[in-house]
Amino acid sequence: MKTPDTPAEAAAATPAPIGSVPLKTPDLARGVARQVDWGRSRLPMLAFGAALLLGWQVLVWALSMPVYVLPGPLDVLRALHTDAGLLLTALLFTLKVTVLAFAVAVVVGVAISFLLTQNPILEQGVMPYMVILQVTPIVAIAPLIIIWVSNTFVALVLIASITALFPIVSNMTLGLRSVAPNLASLFRIYGASRWQTLQRLKLKAALPYFFAGARISSGLALIGAVVAEFVAGTGGTNSGLAYIILESGVQLKVPRMFASLFLISLAGVLLFATMVFISNRALGAWHESAVKTEH
Amino acid sequence: MTTHELRSTLPPADAAPRRPRGEPIIRVQEVGKRYGNGTVALDRTSLDIWAGDFVTLIGPSGCGKSTLLRILAGLGGVTAGRVSWWGTPTPVLDRGDQKLAFVFQDATLMPWARVDENVALPLELKGQLGAAAIRDKVAQVLDLVGLGAFGRSYPRELSGGMQMRVSIARALVTEPDLMLMDEPFGALDEMTRNKLNDDLLRIQHERGLTVVFVTHSLHEAVYLSSRVVVMAARPGRVIDELAVDAGYPRGQAFRLSTGYLSHMTHLSNALDRASRSHGETRA
Repeated sequence: MKTPDTPAEAAAATPAPIGSVPLKTPDLARGVARQVDWGRSRLPMLAFGAALLLGWQVLVWALSMPVYVLPGPLDVLRALHTDAGLLLTALLFTLKVTVLAFAVAVVVGVAISFLLTQNPILEQGVMPYMVILQVTPIVAIAPLIIIWVSNTFVALVLIASITALFPIVSNMTLGLRSVAPNLASLFRIYGASRWQTLQRLKLKAALPYFFAGARISSGLALIGAVVAEFVAGTGGTNSGLAYIILESGVQLKVPRMFASLFLISLAGVLLFATMVFISNRALGAWHESAVKTEH
Repeated sequence: MTTHELRSTLPPADAAPRRPRGEPIIRVQEVGKRYGNGTVALDRTSLDIWAGDFVTLIGPSGCGKSTLLRILAGLGGVTAGRVSWWGTPTPVLDRGDQKLAFVFQDATLMPWARVDENVALPLELKGQLGAAAIRDKVAQVLDLVGLGAFGRSYPRELSGGMQMRVSIARALVTEPDLMLMDEPFGALDEMTRNKLNDDLLRIQHERGLTVVFVTHSLHEAVYLSSRVVVMAARPGRVIDELAVDAGYPRGQAFRLSTGYLSHMTHLSNALDRASRSHGETRA
């Protein structure tokens, strides 16, 4: 039970005319606080980044570094500009693999969690293998999948989904089990059907866990997509950013490697930010009580 | 003065409590509850609940009072004896009628739902009333517990005492005949607790409720109850029953009366016996 705060406590002591008690609006307050935090935290972040870039550029100039060893930020920027068409196509391809793989991981992961929570024996039987799949490096499995699946795009998505699957399964399973026992009893007392209990209780209770898993999983999907591209090493229309890195490395087009790397990082940040945004929207006003489980 | 001397000045513990009229709405007969690991939570326990009773179960921890309450709610099966609800052996919750409500030790609210949504839950699960009727009933019970202005709040925006009021409003929304309460005010400060005690008695009177209440507090037990049932642990069983014959409404005057004191003394002695008997069992 939470500690009573002053206005609320006062209201509890005199319950009759409480219409006038100004209830604090934590949602609003928290939103403002977050903005203030951003404003405060962005400036040092930007300053540090700028200093880093400047130092890098100065170092490259001072040591007269050849571009094929270490290009300066300006070289990378130039590569971003001149190779824009190529890089953008590659970025879209990698993003397509990542987002599809993430979607597959979410659907399959949630489905697996539902099955596992139906039956403890099933969970005891299956969960260890989920863990084995998780701890086996995806680079080691990827060549097999490339051999088995003839369509390269499908193979890439498959590899990335396997990488992204486990956090969804483990967090969602935990979430579906995390229903407060007394709330479950309450639903029984009021004769809730299995469907009502799932929809109104278990899914809601699992939501914070799901989003904690999804945040990690979205990042893993990108890692999986990059690893898959490296292993597949395909060119032509099926070339993402990772393939560009491979190719440019062989051709000593190092600024282009850096440009690709930059775009991969950018994609990762965007994915994460999107997940945070969606999760904050979905959990909304009660997300303060949201649980943080990470794997 | 020792407890032994005190006891000798009081009527014997089994001085028959005044029985209300008619058939009991719940009969618990020689009920036993043994868990899989061999723990005997309840042993040959009998208890009758009459309409309009305010029965409090009190006793040391592990005496099975919460277990007994869950059995009354139909939430836990028994391993011996019989329980009947309104004359039938089918637990109320299996029949799907809402003669019964349960208030837990914590407010047990859904954190993702607003106060009015939490209170509406039992009616919505039942699905017999339309949205407008549900809204009316929810507004009515929220007013009853003094939270009329807080329907759109989230539980975490409320203090502990207010959350417990929401929990009580949710229990009342189905207009139950019987309310089972498992240490509902245990986590609250004394002022809030006293206030809620008075509110509970008022609501019980207005609604003609039957209440079975579990508490650790002797004060709460005497102040609220028409009957206090004292239980002992290992194995959990009823060792004493006390009728509190003071009428309602009760107030500060009752808390200061000699009757109150003698009831307190009686219960204190009974609890003393309860903890000693559990010591003997263990020895």
